[in-house]
Amino acid sequence: MSKKYGVYICKGCGIGDALDIEAICDVVEEEALPCKTHDFLCGQEGVDLIKKDIEENGTNSLVIAACSRRVNYNTFKFDGCIVERVNLREGVVWSHPREEFPKLTEEEKEDENNFDRVQMMAEDYLRMGMARVEKVKLPEPYLLETMSKKIMVMGGGTTGMSAALDAANAGYDVTIVEKEAQLGGNALKWRKQLPLQAPYEELIPPVAADKIKAVQDHPKIDIRTETVVARIAGQPGDFTVTLKKPGEKIEFDVPYPLPEEMRVDENGKELEHEALMEKYREYNEGRRDILTLDPNGEKFGAVILAAGWRPYQPKEDEFPHLGWGASPDVITNYQLEQMVAEGKITRPSDGKDAKNVVFIQSPGNGTDSDFPYSGVVTGMVALKQAQYVREDYEDGKAYIFYQHMRTSGLAENFYKAAQQDPGIFMTKGEITSVEKNGSGLAVSAKDTLLGENIGINADLVVLGTGMVPVTYDDPTVNLAYRQGPGFRDNEVFDWYADSNFICFPYETQRTGIYAAGGVRRALSVEESMEDASGAALKAIQCLESVNRGISVHPRSGDMTIPEFFFQRCTQCKRCTDECPFGAIDDDEKGTPKPNPTRCRRCGTCMGACPERIISFADYSIDSIGSQVKAVEVPSEDDYDEPPFRILGLVCENDAYPAMDIMGLHKKSFSADVRIIPVRCLGSVNVIWIKDALSQGMDGVFLLGCKHGDDYQCHFVKGSELAQIRMKKIGDALSSLALEEERVAQYEVAIDDYDNIPGIINSFVEQIEELGPNPFKGF
Amino acid sequence: MADKYLVQPDIDFINEIRGTGGETLKKCFQCATCSVACPIAPDRKPFPRKEMIAASWGLKDKLLPNPDIWLCHNCGDCTAQCPRGAKPGDVMASLRMMTIREYAGPKSVANALSDPKKLPLLLVIPAVIFIVLGLITGLLDFSPERVHGGIVHSEFFSHWLVDIVFVPLTIWAVAIFAMGLKRFIGDIHKNAVSEGKTDKQGIEVKGFIAALIKVIPVILKHSRFSECGENNDRATPHMMVLFSFIALFIVTSVAFIMLYVFNHHGPYSQLNPVKILANVGGIALIIGAALLIKQRLDKTDEVSTYKDWYLLWLVLGLGVTGMLTELLRLADAAFLTYLFYFIHLILVFNLIAFLPFSKLAHLVYRTVAMAYNEYSEREVKKA
Repeated sequence: MSKKYGVYICKGCGIGDALDIEAICDVVEEEALPCKTHDFLCGQEGVDLIKKDIEENGTNSLVIAACSRRVNYNTFKFDGCIVERVNLREGVVWSHPREEFPKLTEEEKEDENNFDRVQMMAEDYLRMGMARVEKVKLPEPYLLETMSKKIMVMGGGTTGMSAALDAANAGYDVTIVEKEAQLGGNALKWRKQLPLQAPYEELIPPVAADKIKAVQDHPKIDIRTETVVARIAGQPGDFTVTLKKPGEKIEFDVPYPLPEEMRVDENGKELEHEALMEKYREYNEGRRDILTLDPNGEKFGAVILAAGWRPYQPKEDEFPHLGWGASPDVITNYQLEQMVAEGKITRPSDGKDAKNVVFIQSPGNGTDSDFPYSGVVTGMVALKQAQYVREDYEDGKAYIFYQHMRTSGLAENFYKAAQQDPGIFMTKGEITSVEKNGSGLAVSAKDTLLGENIGINADLVVLGTGMVPVTYDDPTVNLAYRQGPGFRDNEVFDWYADSNFICFPYETQRTGIYAAGGVRRALSVEESMEDASGAALKAIQCLESVNRGISVHPRSGDMTIPEFFFQRCTQCKRCTDECPFGAIDDDEKGTPKPNPTRCRRCGTCMGACPERIISFADYSIDSIGSQVKAVEVPSEDDYDEPPFRILGLVCENDAYPAMDIMGLHKKSFSADVRIIPVRCLGSVNVIWIKDALSQGMDGVFLLGCKHGDDYQCHFVKGSELAQIRMKKIGDALSSLALEEERVAQYEVAIDDYDNIPGIINSFVEQIEELGPNPFKGF
Repeated sequence: MADKYLVQPDIDFINEIRGTGGETLKKCFQCATCSVACPIAPDRKPFPRKEMIAASWGLKDKLLPNPDIWLCHNCGDCTAQCPRGAKPGDVMASLRMMTIREYAGPKSVANALSDPKKLPLLLVIPAVIFIVLGLITGLLDFSPERVHGGIVHSEFFSHWLVDIVFVPLTIWAVAIFAMGLKRFIGDIHKNAVSEGKTDKQGIEVKGFIAALIKVIPVILKHSRFSECGENNDRATPHMMVLFSFIALFIVTSVAFIMLYVFNHHGPYSQLNPVKILANVGGIALIIGAALLIKQRLDKTDEVSTYKDWYLLWLVLGLGVTGMLTELLRLADAAFLTYLFYFIHLILVFNLIAFLPFSKLAHLVYRTVAMAYNEYSEREVKKA
């Protein structure tokens, strides 16, 4: 594409009042680019001005200096054109009001040692924008050679069947894979189920039976019972799945990566590549490598993981103070459910009627947390099972001791209805002991709503234990990915298949695999059906994005993919290791093998690559590097007291929007800072920081999402990886006699707009204390 | 743990509360808005939150001997502010009814009084007693003579007959109260000690009487009642009814003494101060009762049970029949005035005989509970 440039400057929204637009045009014209200004660029007339240039002059590379790229996106979107938005409004004018940063007076202008910081900022941003359009390309979609639009649902319980029905009713072919001989899962075996619809007051028969019939009758649903997944190879849109009977050993069982301790020699040194490969083959004897596709494998486009849960079974000595293990009359809620499916509630010890039943929701012992792997649903199950007591015995009494009694949505009505039963008694409270008392049990509790320590003579005690995701015991998805068959760092989520529960529900850490139901959280049938719909829609979104060569999420619609310049690859495997989504495998030699449809376009690989051979069409080492170099760094040759120059690399997911909001609120920060948005801090390559410092900039800060166990990073690992890289760069800086403090990383959330000025300004102050970069002017 | 309370819920008790005005009781989710809203709950162990959970758990042993339910004046602030519509005010009212029933014997009378179907029986019994006793003794004369041309009620219904019936009846009421109260005071003290509402060890008579004397002006002035928000307008008519009862009690006592000590017969002159007091009391009773009835009818969000209505209509009936008897006498309508006098006496019989069983017993229980509260120094904040 031969580029024809055009620069357009908007004077609206206060830009024209605050800045010397003519001077900015001079900056543009210095680069020999045409510069046009307009009072109101996003209006019809302004847009027509741009369109006229596109049509008549063939302009296709546009620099639009106006508002933030996050607003008026569609107004300034022109097909077939590269568009760079220079943020003069939120980024310069609004966040640097003239009351605080006054213009130079005519008199001041005469002295060449005076300068206008805000004007300098605007001019730099224009230079940076022009530098970027010069370096980027228009992306072309990556299309799979063959694509399957079939969806595989793992698990034939309520969630899996619901997801299959949702997807099939939307027109997709679905295959349900169920390891048991019968569909239905856990919920099929219950006496009753929590309500699904208004008025949400009464228990209903389990819906699993109806669902079984519906999936069996559906022409678009194929059911495989007594089947498990041996491996899922390939990538979204083109998964090759090997199915097998449970317990079978086959050559297409997924291989596992070498455990950490096997990767080193006796001296603790990392083994050479060849030796590693040897060990890997040994370790996975009888299993084909991940890159070998099963010729008999079935093709699927996306996977819904609805493999479910198993009941939490407390260890023998886990809750001695609750009588667990000591008395057979202390059971779990799951055991009670099994008991009532067959008959009345009785005491396991002697088979006599159990009319006084105590339900314990929290194990206590000084904490108020519930049993492991429980959730909102365990409270509701207690309400349900309390009703069984009342159903079975007219004079039955059910006591519920809770620390949290939660009901989601309209299920509050269910709680209210249960409360009305004269034989159901509820209180917040901590159980202190459950002891034998004749043929029954004596339950003691403290901190109750009754205001004193209380005792209850019970026949049966039921523990509100939780639902353990099957991914706790086994990777289940068995992905033929170099990073391993399961979800990475899954222990952060207590082994629930998840990546970010609140922001990105259903999206696991593997693109194309969408989790729903008990594998994702402890939940009720109603919630699992809702989950099923969510995951089905996500799977469909995946298929309908992959088929057009665009990213699924969170950068939905992004057409770029990472491009590798393999001639220079040193097979260091950092991209393979660091990709948060396992998008990159490597071959026998260790050369990366990208799987573009697994990719979420975060650029973490680009940030990782020491050889800088990875780039995206519109986002590359060179494009950002050129922007950094486009910043003018004044030295003592220019002014007696040259201003500092500080670079801010800002994550565009939360931090950059927060800075826009900051501008909207007219919150100001130092005008010596130059901001460049980045896809994720994970994509920040240290070369940019070196570039900035070696051209005399005085400091660099990174602004991104929170990392760690409660991360908010949109790409899971990006900000964490950036943190590690920044630590390493510190050593390099000190070898250059530069202070480590010149580079810093800060965590912000999208609602931190109020705090960001303080963060930036204190960093600037810190740099000012260090003094100017000694390399300035060289 | 030794110091624990063994919970033994009584499902029948819960159903009973729900059947006597506390239907909403189980809606409570223990947020304690009620205890905050209540203008008269003490700082130490405030009510009615704790009563709500005890009631929804069916803990009869914690509720009936509980003095707190009597400190409540049913002002309705808690009910108005309850986010769940659990109506704590109505539950407390229901608990008071059940306490009255618990402490008053014999149970058959108490049960008859809570059953609307037994109402005709309650009205027929005194009529039968009057007629049978009157005919046997000859103290009831269906063709009474006029005295000096005027109507004298004792010619129809001898004052001897009145006293043969009502003196023992009053003694019976007092005896039942006495027996109930003895148990009641013991129980509320035990309850207060076990729930930490008081530091007093036992009940010392002198201190208790001093406390009683202290609360009487509070009751007369309705100072507690007036602290209420929602039902503040009930305070005035309630006060009218209370004061008219006191006035009529004084009138009856004076008449009794005049009759037996000074042998002075009625009817009194309209200018006689005793007569004036009687008339004022009668009118206040009618107005007060009518207003209370109207307010209850208007307040549809609060439960009014049969027992509430029984008492209110009885009080209004007493006032109306009393005044009509007098007016018809003055109008010289002999048959009608005798008829209303007879009805009036039936109603008086109901009032006295069933006093320890009816809602009116709150006069006694509340007074005792307030005196106990004063005595127990519960309002005095712990340092």
